[in-house]
Amino acid sequence: MSDAMPAASGGEAAAKSAAIEAKKRWRAHLASADPKPALRVGLAASFTADTLVPFVGAALLAENTAAAFTVAPFNQLFQTCLDPEASFHGAVDVAVVLWRLEDLMLDEITGFLAGELDALNRASGKLASFAAAIRQLRAGFKGMVIAGVPPYPTGVAGNLLSLDNAAGLGAFHRKLAAEFVDDVGRIEGVTLVDLDAMQRQIGVATAFDARKWYLYRQPYSDAFLYTAGRQLGRIVAASRRAAKKCVVLDADNTLWGGIVGEDGIDGIQIGDEFPGSAYRDFQKLLLSWRAQGVLLAVASKNNEADALEVFDKHSDMVLKREHLSAWQINWLPKAENIPLIAKALNIGTDSLVFIDDNPMEIAYMRDARAEVTSVLVPSEPADIVATMQALTLFDQLEVTDEDRKRADMMRAERDRETVAAQISHADFLNALDLKIDLFRAQPEDLGRITQLVNKTNQFNLTTIRRTLDEVRALANSDDWRLYGMRVTDKFGEYGLTGVVIVEISPDRRRWTIDSLMMSCRVLGRGVEPTLIGGLAGDARDQGAVEFRASYIPTAKNAICASFLPDQNFTSIGGQEWHLDLADAPAIPAHVTRLGGAAPATTQALQPQLADVAE
Amino acid sequence: MTARVARVFSEVLGVSAEQITDDTSPDNTPQWDSMAAMNLVVAIEDEFDVTLSTAEIISMRNVAIVKKVLTAKGVADA
Repeated sequence: MSDAMPAASGGEAAAKSAAIEAKKRWRAHLASADPKPALRVGLAASFTADTLVPFVGAALLAENTAAAFTVAPFNQLFQTCLDPEASFHGAVDVAVVLWRLEDLMLDEITGFLAGELDALNRASGKLASFAAAIRQLRAGFKGMVIAGVPPYPTGVAGNLLSLDNAAGLGAFHRKLAAEFVDDVGRIEGVTLVDLDAMQRQIGVATAFDARKWYLYRQPYSDAFLYTAGRQLGRIVAASRRAAKKCVVLDADNTLWGGIVGEDGIDGIQIGDEFPGSAYRDFQKLLLSWRAQGVLLAVASKNNEADALEVFDKHSDMVLKREHLSAWQINWLPKAENIPLIAKALNIGTDSLVFIDDNPMEIAYMRDARAEVTSVLVPSEPADIVATMQALTLFDQLEVTDEDRKRADMMRAERDRETVAAQISHADFLNALDLKIDLFRAQPEDLGRITQLVNKTNQFNLTTIRRTLDEVRALANSDDWRLYGMRVTDKFGEYGLTGVVIVEISPDRRRWTIDSLMMSCRVLGRGVEPTLIGGLAGDARDQGAVEFRASYIPTAKNAICASFLPDQNFTSIGGQEWHLDLADAPAIPAHVTRLGGAAPATTQALQPQLADVAE
Repeated sequence: MTARVARVFSEVLGVSAEQITDDTSPDNTPQWDSMAAMNLVVAIEDEFDVTLSTAEIISMRNVAIVKKVLTAKGVADA
């Protein structure tokens, strides 16, 4: 379980004992290690990085992932980028590249501090070569690539506290770190880990251990390694699991201080004065989650009118009623309200996070609804934001346009339902002006597609999960077709809400639907026959005569149990289904397929080959 | 302290506590490589709440010397 981490304000002693605990957990894991790790991680650094392993390992264990590590020989960054398998003694799933300015460009730093005019240019040139090597690694390596932003240099002649540091070492570091972020941060499929920010968080002096540096070429204290390891673990874990979709919030003493039913709307604490400011900042954090696609809901024991009045009328509330995707404000047990919220939002209860200040409510929810992740609000208001910021539950590496718009799109959904209730179904469908774009996936779609592949639980025929790199490989293969589907109607855009992955037989006559998934929001308006009918048209154009597909039941995908027979597929035994393309459904009259047939080849999918600048 | 020292060495080196004697050193314990040496320093500092100087770290070439250093730093029960 990924429960709330201890609050950041725990102090140095707490950080030290957390680091000791992490090392113990890792040692215990190694003593009982499963011979087949779930994940292989390769670390390459310009310094001795072995000491980082226990901390990344423990952070991944906390996310239920047992990893095995290989550390490339010290300071072989370029070799590792060009031939990762050689440096890591075999294949790895994740390659982490960490570097320090003072390891790669000590001459340039020294020159810059001595006033050499071209030192910065020389450093930029080295950085560009290094960025090109990382581009090369990305192009030639299938797994995940993580690159570290260089921290402030330590153990060199420049002095953080010298009077001219703003124009000295500080200036050098700021410029090079920014260039690195700008350059490497743009490489698609490379994730940055901001070691610079982490060093700042715990302090440059605390992060450096001069004794270890001189004796072992290992510059960092355990406090820094712990912080960096935890962040690396978070990044890797976020790429491997579905983020939570919705946070269900208590109201009194969670969103504001006090109890609205007793203290009244003017008596609750929210605004610029502490403790109201702590709740206000928490509300700002919630809005930033919403902007990443996390839905916000409220489950509160209150009179509905009292609680909603706060959202509607209290001028200091950052969170307004329009930001809420659902609410259950009544006197029923919250464990009964939670499934209603999940149902209203068309998501599973296991993608909910429940946040409440009452330990009894938390305990009751954990007991009654173990699949819901329950988080207790700290009793110290000053700790609320730090505690919530430390939650890894909503981590996701690629925030797509659909994510940013999701909460607003849910509002459009409510408007659609209102119209549907007023007129007949056939009139409704015609009035909808449904437009469906079924298209060959382009490079910019792969992030969103990977997200759907890994998050769609309900309308998903086979529930095969894939990493971004695996999806990209299929997109680039001539034996596979990767389709995306965008749906638009008169109320707005649903965004990229459907994915089909097809494998083509060597004789090109059979298309096997390896994966097919859709967001439940778009079902039941003629989208399903449009998808299969449109796909069949493309397949026929490319010489195919038959579809194969399978339905693999899970605990959650019963909703698509009748999809294949509904689209004229016939069972051929077991979980396998067949469709003669002559029998494929027609695209319904009220639907417009945008763009027409998708071509057999897409030039745009060729990966960009990096050119090494040497 | 002897038991605590043995436990720290046993955990870091991955050998049983009984195998840790005053004579245990990098020369007779292959697990005590340079990486383990660094981990031992951190583990000893954590366990006994002391800070070791580079001179002390360099001097600690077997378990007996480690105990001597710790005693000199005021760790009780040598």
